[in-house]
Amino acid sequence: MTTTEETPRLPFARANALAIAPDYEALRRQAPISRVLSPAGDPAWLVTSYEEAKEIFRDKRFGRSHPAPEQASRISHAAVQDGPSGDFDTEEQEHKRMRRMLAPAFSAPRMRALGDRIAELTDRCLDDLQAAHDAHPGEPVDLTDFLAFPLPVLVICELLGVPYADREKFRGLSERIARMDGGEDAQAAMTEFKAYMTELADEKRADPQPDVISDMVAVQADDPTFTDDDLARMGAGLLFAGHETTSTRIAMGTLFLLSDTARRDRFAADPHGEVNRTVEEILRLTATSGTGLLRYAHEDVEVAGTRIMRGDAVLISSDAANRDATVFTDPDEFDPARTPNVHLAFGTGAHVCIGANLARTELRTVFPKLFGRFPGLRLAAGIDEIPVRVNRVAGGVDAVPVTW
Amino acid sequence: MKITADTGSCVASGQCVLLAPGTFDQDEDAGTVVLLADEPADGEEDAVRQAELTCPAAAIRLSGA
Ligand code: SF4
Repeated sequence: MTTTEETPRLPFARANALAIAPDYEALRRQAPISRVLSPAGDPAWLVTSYEEAKEIFRDKRFGRSHPAPEQASRISHAAVQDGPSGDFDTEEQEHKRMRRMLAPAFSAPRMRALGDRIAELTDRCLDDLQAAHDAHPGEPVDLTDFLAFPLPVLVICELLGVPYADREKFRGLSERIARMDGGEDAQAAMTEFKAYMTELADEKRADPQPDVISDMVAVQADDPTFTDDDLARMGAGLLFAGHETTSTRIAMGTLFLLSDTARRDRFAADPHGEVNRTVEEILRLTATSGTGLLRYAHEDVEVAGTRIMRGDAVLISSDAANRDATVFTDPDEFDPARTPNVHLAFGTGAHVCIGANLARTELRTVFPKLFGRFPGLRLAAGIDEIPVRVNRVAGGVDAVPVTW
Repeated sequence: MKITADTGSCVASGQCVLLAPGTFDQDEDAGTVVLLADEPADGEEDAVRQAELTCPAAAIRLSGA
């Protein structure tokens, strides 16, 4: 029996924004699945190996709901990924309904159509970046303020049909729901966030537009089991996930490219030729949450010799799986040439991130434009001086000071 | 190389389309995979192999060399 003192507790400390915690590798060397304590202090399984991560992502015996939610391990004191969600008996059905409802809006044909618009919005953000630089010549500019944050927000606002003018409001709400020590405030923010989405849904009901919230409202009209609360929660989830995660990737991708001048120059020399594989490598290496993705076992399951009991919490660390040396040679090296690069940044299986195409389309647009326009871009701080957000569900960094 | 795609298990992630747009498409309404040809389009052999590996639902199968 392991005692509490010996059980490692998440989140693990890391050296800087580009690294992941060495504890993951140490744990993986012992076993693919380890016993840990969640940031909330409850027992959970942590999956650090690639094969097992993939297996559990694809295994229908794991879900986001719990057979007895009040007994479930809590993960953190945020209001997302903090514990079980959804109904144990209807989870699969509800998930299918959600995918069916959202798939058209996030499909590749729609993303192709959206591509030009994303390009236009990116140009606008880069104009603002230039203007900020011109306003205070010689001083560093924060790339998160002018590109990494506003671009994904502009895009998700258009897609969902959310007014861009409300961005400070939902930026604040998103930050509060995702604070792992948020507690009551995180819950209060979630309530506010849902009220905001409900208001928006009412507007769409009265005046439907070609956007995702209007699509959801239309589905709801035919399906009374899809409640106002379901709609509000899903809308808030999409708005939160749609900007936080891509925003993090733009910031981190820029850090990866700028942390090594030769790497930057190689990319800037042929951005369009390099971009697809560079984006995949950024996705593979970017460490996001300190916990991984949450599942609960819906029955007793044995994985890699480990017996996971019904109701146990399982945290799948894509960050760790993506640096598993049995799958990726020199896993900590940034190497866009690796092929195939089948990382798990979006998860896999039935719950694979629905926004994966959107994220890829944005990232494939941003980096060529950024380095096409500012080939001499450089970091205005040492990589160790960039503070990592350890306390946030989506991870990330607070600022990316750049100059040129 | 022959390609088959199982629309029943497809979860409409569209990763195949983003990788090999000449070979795969997605149904506009359901989002499920549409095979444009049962062989990779010109120059898309590698991308199709990557799609088989990446497909989150393991819905894409390749056979033959
Ligand atoms: S990658 Fe797989 S799951 Fe995604 S659309 Fe293609 S066939 Fe369907």
